[in-house]
Amino acid sequence: MTDGWNIVVCVKQVPDADDVSIDPETGRLNRSDAEAVMNAPDYNAVEAALELRDEVGGTVTALSMGPPNADAVLRVAVGMGADDGVLLSDPAFGGSDTWPTSLALARAAEELDADVVFGGEETTDSSTGQVPPGIAAHNGWAQLTYVEELESRPEEDKLVAKRDVEGGYERVAAELPVVVAMGFGENDPRPAGLHRKIYAETDFEPETWTAEDLGIEDEVGLAVSPTQVGGMDTADPVPREQEVVDETDELAEQIAEVL
Amino acid sequence: MAATSDTSADIEEHEDVWVFVEQHDGEVANVTWELLSKGRDLADERGENLVALVMGENIDETDIPEQCIARGADKVLIADDPVFEPYRSDPYGEQFRHLVETHKPAIALIGGTHTGRDFAGRVAVPTHAGLTADCTELEMEDGRYEMRRPAFGGDALATIICPEHRPQMSTVRPGVFPAAEPDADRDGEIEEVEVVVDEADTMTEVLEREVGDVADITDADVVVAGGMGAEGDFEPLWELADLLDGEVAATRDAVEEGWIEPARQVGQTGKTVRPKLYIAAGISGAIQHLEGMDDSETVIAINTDPNAPIFDNADYGIVGDLHEVIPELIEYFQENEEAIPA
Ligand SMILES: Cc1cc2nc3c(=O)[nH]c(=O)nc-3n(C[C@H](O)[C@H](O)[C@H](O)COP(=O)(O)OP(=O)(O)OC[C@H]3O[C@@H](n4cnc5c(N)ncnc54)[C@H](O)[C@@H]3O)c2cc1C
Ligand SMILES: Nc1ncnc2c1ncn2[C@@H]1O[C@H](COP(=O)(O)O)[C@@H](O)[C@H]1O
Repeated sequence: MTDGWNIVVCVKQVPDADDVSIDPETGRLNRSDAEAVMNAPDYNAVEAALELRDEVGGTVTALSMGPPNADAVLRVAVGMGADDGVLLSDPAFGGSDTWPTSLALARAAEELDADVVFGGEETTDSSTGQVPPGIAAHNGWAQLTYVEELESRPEEDKLVAKRDVEGGYERVAAELPVVVAMGFGENDPRPAGLHRKIYAETDFEPETWTAEDLGIEDEVGLAVSPTQVGGMDTADPVPREQEVVDETDELAEQIAEVL
Repeated sequence: MAATSDTSADIEEHEDVWVFVEQHDGEVANVTWELLSKGRDLADERGENLVALVMGENIDETDIPEQCIARGADKVLIADDPVFEPYRSDPYGEQFRHLVETHKPAIALIGGTHTGRDFAGRVAVPTHAGLTADCTELEMEDGRYEMRRPAFGGDALATIICPEHRPQMSTVRPGVFPAAEPDADRDGEIEEVEVVVDEADTMTEVLEREVGDVADITDADVVVAGGMGAEGDFEPLWELADLLDGEVAATRDAVEEGWIEPARQVGQTGKTVRPKLYIAAGISGAIQHLEGMDDSETVIAINTDPNAPIFDNADYGIVGDLHEVIPELIEYFQENEEAIPA
C-alpha cells in the first residue's frame, strides 16, 4: 500500500436544528425555512479523515446521499481539505430508512475501493447512529464506533481505535477495510482554508451517482425500508412553574418543600 | 456482501420478545433489567415468551441466567465461548444472525448504550430487521408493535412501525423504563445454543480494556447537575449532592471537558433521569440536555444569564453565579438539617 489509503468520509445534510419548529396552530413541522447545514458530528468525521490522510497518505473522498442541493455539504468537506466528493442522488432513494441508506453508502464505498470509511456519531435530524454499523454490516467489514482516538498501522493494514465504552474505554485493532464512527466533539475540526474554500465553492463539481449506477435500484427507497413512520405527535412541553426568585434562601425553601 | 436473510415472507412464524443481555466480565448493565421489565409486559400482552439472550464466556460460572429469570425471563439462551468476551460487533453480530434465523423472534430489545447501539446497528442489516433507536415508549396497539421516539429535537414524538419485517428491534437508553424487583421464585428454562463463530473469522481484536465502576444516576431521587458554568469546578455540586443524598450529573459539554465521568451525562446521548428534584447549575438548557431530564418532578435552575432557556424549563430559578449560590444552599441545609428527610 505504497500510495496510502483510500479514505471515504460520509457527511449528511440536515436542517439546522435551531431552525426547526412546530407550528402551534397546525401541529406541523416547520422545516421549510430551516437552513440546510452539515450535520455537526460530521465535522469530527472529516477532521479525523484528514488527520489520517496526513499520517498514512492517500486521498479523502467525501460521500453524501441526499437531494441534488446536498452537494453543499460535499463543498464544506472539500473546503476543509477533502480531495473529492461524490453525491448519491436519485428520486429512487426517497423514503429510505437506515437499511437502504447504509446499503447505498456501502456500495459507493466499495466502488471507491475504500480502506477506511468515516462517519459521525449520529445525525441531528434522525439521531440513530445506525448508518456506520450498517455500512460495515452490508459490506462485511469491521466497525469501530464511539471512537476517541485513532492510531494507524499501515504496515499491518490495521487501524487501532480507542473507543468510549460504559465506565471506561477500550483499544481495538481492526483489519482494513473498516468503518469508523467518530465520537462527537472528540477532535477540533479545522477551519476551511481560504483558497480551498474558493475552489470548493466555484470550480469543484462532485460526481453524482444514481441507484442504477450502484446496481441497487430495487433495493432502496420507502418500499424496502423495514421501518415506517406510523404517526407524528407534538410532544407537550412539561408544564413548569417558571418562577425566578431573588434570594438563595427562597430557593432553598422551595428545595426543602420538594424533599 | 454479508448474507441477508429477508424474513418478510414468514412474519407469522416469528414470535417471542427477546432482550439482549449486556454483560461485561459477568457484570450485567442495569439497562438489561429495565428492558426485561418492559419486555415482560410486552410478552404478556402478546401471549408470548420473554427470552433473555446472553453471550459471553463461562456464563455457567455466573448467576446471570438465574438473575434473568428472576427479572422476568421465561427462557435464557446462552452462547458461551471465549470469542464472546469481551464484546465485539463482528462475532456478536454473526451469532445473533444465526439465532434470529433459527429461533425467529418477533421483537428484540437492546440497551441504548454504546455497546448496545454498536450491536444493534450491526445486526439489523443481515437480518433485515426494522430497527428504531432511542425509543421512549413501546406499546402493543391492536396487536401491532408501536415504537415511539422523540423527533426533531424533542418537539415531536414519532411512532415507528415495522409492518413487514422481523424482528422488530428497538434500542432504549438507560433510565427510560424502571426495572422490576427480582423474584427468586420464578421458573424459567436455560438453553445453551450452538456457537457458530470462529475466532479465526473475526476482523477485530480488543487490545486493552479499562473499565471502572459505572456510576448509576438513574435511580437517584435528587440529582445535582452541572454544565459549562461550573468552569471546571464541580466540588460544590458534589458537596450539595452529598448533603441531599443525591447524585451528581452533567451536560455533555462538561463531560467532554473531562470535569466528570461520562456515565454521569444526562441527555439525548446520555442517561434519562426522572428524580424528584433536579438542580441544573450552569446549564443553558439545550434541547439534547432537556430530553434526559424533562420528566423530573421539580426542576431548579441556577444560571448567570436570565435569558438562558433552562429557566423556561424550570419550576424555580435564580439568576446568579453557581459558585456563590450553591455554597449558600449548602450553608442553608447545614443550618436547617431538619429540612432534609432522614
Ligand atoms: C448529537 C448531539 C447529541 C448531544 N447530546 C447531549 C446530551 O446527551 N446531553 C447534553 O447535555 N448535551 C448534549 N449535546 C450538546 C448540547 O447541544 C449542548 O451543547 C450542551 O447541552 C450544552 O452544555 P452546557 O449547558 O453545559 O453549556 P453551555 O450551553 O455553554 O451553557 C453554559 C451555561 O452556564 C451559564 N453560566 C456560565 N457561568 C456561570 C456561573 N458561574 N454560574 C451559573 N451559570 C453560569 C451560562 O449562562 C450558560 O447558560 C448534544 C449535541 C449533539 C449535536
Ligand atoms: N444520507 C447520508 N449521507 C451520508 N452520510 C450519512 C447519511 N446518513 C447518515 N450518514 C452518516 O452516518 C452517521 C450517523 O448517522 P445516523 O445513523 O443517521 O445517526 C452520520 O454522522 C453520517 O456520517
